[in-house]
Amino acid sequence: MGWEAVYLQQVINGLSLGAMYALLALGFTLVYGILELINFAHFNVFMVGSFVGMAALELFGLSGQTQILTGFPLVGVMTFAFIATLSVAGALGVIIERFALRPLRGIPGTVGMITTIGVSYILFNIVLLTVGAGSWNFPNPLPRISWPIGGATLELRSLLIWIIALVLMTGLHLFVNKTRLGKAMRATAQDAEAARMMGVDVDRVIVTAFFLGSALAGAAALIFGLYYNYTSFIIGYTAGLRAFTAAVLGGIGSVTGAMVGGLIIGLIEALGGQLIAVRWTDVIIFSILVLVLVFAPTGLLGRANPTKS
Amino acid sequence: MAERDTAAPRQGTIGAEVFAFLRRASPLARVAPHVRPRIGITLVFAFALLFPLIIDRNDADIDSAANALAFAALALGLNIVVGFAGLLDLGYAAFFAIGAYAYGVFASAQFMPAWSGFWEPFAWLQLVERFHQDSGGDLVHFTVSFWLMLPLSAGLAAFFGVLFGAPTLRLKGDYLAIVTLGFGEIVPIIARNWPSVTNGAMGLNGVAAPRFLGQSFGISATPYYFVGMGLIALLIFTSTRLKLSRIGRAWMAIREDEIAAAAMGVNRVKFKLLAFAIGAAFAGATGTFYVAKLQTATPEMFMFPVSVMILVMVVFGGIGSVWGVVLGAIILQILQSWFLEDLSQWLHALGRLIGVEWLQRIELASSIELIFGIILVTMMLYRRQGLIPATRRVQALSLAEQTATVELAAAPPAQRLRAIGDITFRGDEPLLDIKGLTVRFGGLVALREVGLTVPPRSVVAVIGPNGSGKSTLFNAVTGLVAPESGNVRFAGYPIERQPPHVVLGRGMARTFQNIRLFPNLTVLENVMIGMHARLHTGAVGALLRLPATQREEAAARAHCLDILALFGNRLIPRVDHVVSSLSYANRRRLEIARALASNPKLLLLDEPTAGMNPAETLELAGQIKNLNQHGLTIVLIEHKLDVVVSLADNVIVLDHGEKIAEGPPDVVRRDEEVIRAYLGRSAAIGSAAVA
Repeated sequence: MGWEAVYLQQVINGLSLGAMYALLALGFTLVYGILELINFAHFNVFMVGSFVGMAALELFGLSGQTQILTGFPLVGVMTFAFIATLSVAGALGVIIERFALRPLRGIPGTVGMITTIGVSYILFNIVLLTVGAGSWNFPNPLPRISWPIGGATLELRSLLIWIIALVLMTGLHLFVNKTRLGKAMRATAQDAEAARMMGVDVDRVIVTAFFLGSALAGAAALIFGLYYNYTSFIIGYTAGLRAFTAAVLGGIGSVTGAMVGGLIIGLIEALGGQLIAVRWTDVIIFSILVLVLVFAPTGLLGRANPTKS
Repeated sequence: MAERDTAAPRQGTIGAEVFAFLRRASPLARVAPHVRPRIGITLVFAFALLFPLIIDRNDADIDSAANALAFAALALGLNIVVGFAGLLDLGYAAFFAIGAYAYGVFASAQFMPAWSGFWEPFAWLQLVERFHQDSGGDLVHFTVSFWLMLPLSAGLAAFFGVLFGAPTLRLKGDYLAIVTLGFGEIVPIIARNWPSVTNGAMGLNGVAAPRFLGQSFGISATPYYFVGMGLIALLIFTSTRLKLSRIGRAWMAIREDEIAAAAMGVNRVKFKLLAFAIGAAFAGATGTFYVAKLQTATPEMFMFPVSVMILVMVVFGGIGSVWGVVLGAIILQILQSWFLEDLSQWLHALGRLIGVEWLQRIELASSIELIFGIILVTMMLYRRQGLIPATRRVQALSLAEQTATVELAAAPPAQRLRAIGDITFRGDEPLLDIKGLTVRFGGLVALREVGLTVPPRSVVAVIGPNGSGKSTLFNAVTGLVAPESGNVRFAGYPIERQPPHVVLGRGMARTFQNIRLFPNLTVLENVMIGMHARLHTGAVGALLRLPATQREEAAARAHCLDILALFGNRLIPRVDHVVSSLSYANRRRLEIARALASNPKLLLLDEPTAGMNPAETLELAGQIKNLNQHGLTIVLIEHKLDVVVSLADNVIVLDHGEKIAEGPPDVVRRDEEVIRAYLGRSAAIGSAAVA
């Protein structure tokens, strides 16, 4: 491969990673936009989601990457896996909100965030203690179809990942901007107290935000599994922090910002690994996180002001 | 008193009676209350020193105890940052890593540059040795002493704390947490990716053991245990002294309400950096101790889970409570290294006995992180103050004390006011001179070209409808909001664009419309923070507590009580109560007392009588008048026109950010423009018709 082809390939990879980070970043941004809470539990909702996705695929007797499905069975199995993962992850988010965070509503400071760290630890260790520390082979029934583009290859799964991400993000965008509950959500994000007085059921809005955010984390988890062909108890932390960086970069609280930020972080990861060295990828991404927060805290498209107290 | 006696039998359960009997019968009952903590501390340290003998020199157990001490030291350091100053640091282990690698690199054979003449003086100082190689040139072998490295590591970590804190500390709580998390991850990654110095992921090896009186510590855990004890004693001493000083009060003020802290003269940047640096220094010294004990260091020892573990210890023991976090760290370490292991062994034995297979395979020690998570969530939901709360609840006033007749005049006002010191500006030029002040929030012009002067020893009232820019005027003058243009001179000095603590330092104090006291601090602590700018104790003074510091502290306390006495028996009986238990009117009074404690020449009062009933309003108006007669210059925002008329020499009327009228109260009162702004056009026409 010539160097152009190498970079083109990394751009394709970066877009796939970016789609995953964007979906995961949306969960941070939805919850932050409404509660001003950085939800560390989201990291491991994502991780649990990947195990749910794996279990859903294994229900059909799939294991590893050798069993290929085509046609109707493929569509059926994938649809089932997506619905199962999104629902379970979404429900997990709702449970976390209801039992760990709702009792703390209205308490100022970092109490909520410390609680989500605790919840994240609980999820992490429950998975670690039940499935063990190894990494698990993630079933991938997609046919190995690929198209050569300028020396690089575009695989079917990359295309599928893009389509899934695009559909979900368009759906979310329409939901937030066109539906009644979406309007209530935007109103609550602006001013929860005023929204409550105008008859918005704020609790319902918050539950919806947790459900949608966590369900999107479930989708991101399935994409992770299909992209990397494995899952493990440990995947939540790195992916979660990168997605959080994406949310901050795009402007936390902004739905479009999370999408843009996700794509940028995906591309930085893929191209940065190519240009510098993979072992420095984390340093690059954490540096972006620190620099954006310090020098441009509203991110690319955000409205939140992280220095206000 | 009668109420209390009748209430007693209600709580007289058998347990409480037994407890009360034991308390009366115990030897401690005959000791004066202020000596009791000292006896407790002495007993704790005596036990800790005898501990290695008590457990019969079991090296593994002493080793675990030494580890527990290291984590207690880290918890104490994080407590300064999170507990005292309220800055959530999720990357605290990075400073631990810096201290650990500093000693690890300078006391091992890991990093050996080529020998040259440059190193001769260092060799003479015994910091390095010339290492002879049979082939190739000689190398430098670093042999820096552990005892020297302990303070150096603390200093190095503090330096990185300041370097990292300077740009980031203005972020609010959760963002700061994320930035520190990022920093906390970057440090171990650098350690991993820099193998020539740190040996990368393999970790340092062959770190030299400390030597004492020519003897190497070797591999026995006991000397490390005693060094750890010394470290902990020093850190507890440092924490306690700082907490109970001007420094500690400034930190807690920042934690409770950053804006109010700045407005009361606390230099936020300086004190946040100080907290960060001292917290980092604790971690740096502990890092050196820990790596000397382990004689190795790997990047994994300093990642996010370690930072979280230290946070769990602080949360569990009690955020902000010195003894609490030590207890929290020790309990969790005991749980980790003894209890869970032993419990697993018992379960295995039980499993063998009753023939249950899965009981024999349980390894509870691996579930420690699950326990950490459960502790975090449980504490946050049910006991946020931790095992040993940082602030002790004071018994509520009895019904008799609460409903006591208000006594205001134990001494004539003039005599009592003398106690609060010199609050008179003795000049003839205007004390406050504002010219062309414009403040803009995005598209909204909150103040447009406002100018006003405040003559010394006068009372100026600022009135105007809601949203007319009155509070913005105060915020712009005191430095909380940056004006777009205009000049503000105070006592001859230009103060526009000066930070709030500088404005207060010059002698301008304020209160807030929506009351910004420090809710979890006591009445006295709130007033003492008002004195912050007038006191001089620094970190070193607070640690040493020399006679000069003690005198300053005692004088400050007495002065604050004098100021509280201005309000008769309203606040004095409640000096040790936390502010969140005060009534609304008392909070208003306390905020004025806090402002007076800064010894101001000009007092800005933002709706001081808001929410008070007519009697309370009258009482406060009288007190404000007394202050003015004593020489204090006052600017007040007020909606109650009778208060304005009775107090003000001059009235300024704002509407939509512009000054529409100015003059003596009874002139302004008849001004048509003013009536229109307050009551609408038809009222103005009506009043004109009547006139």
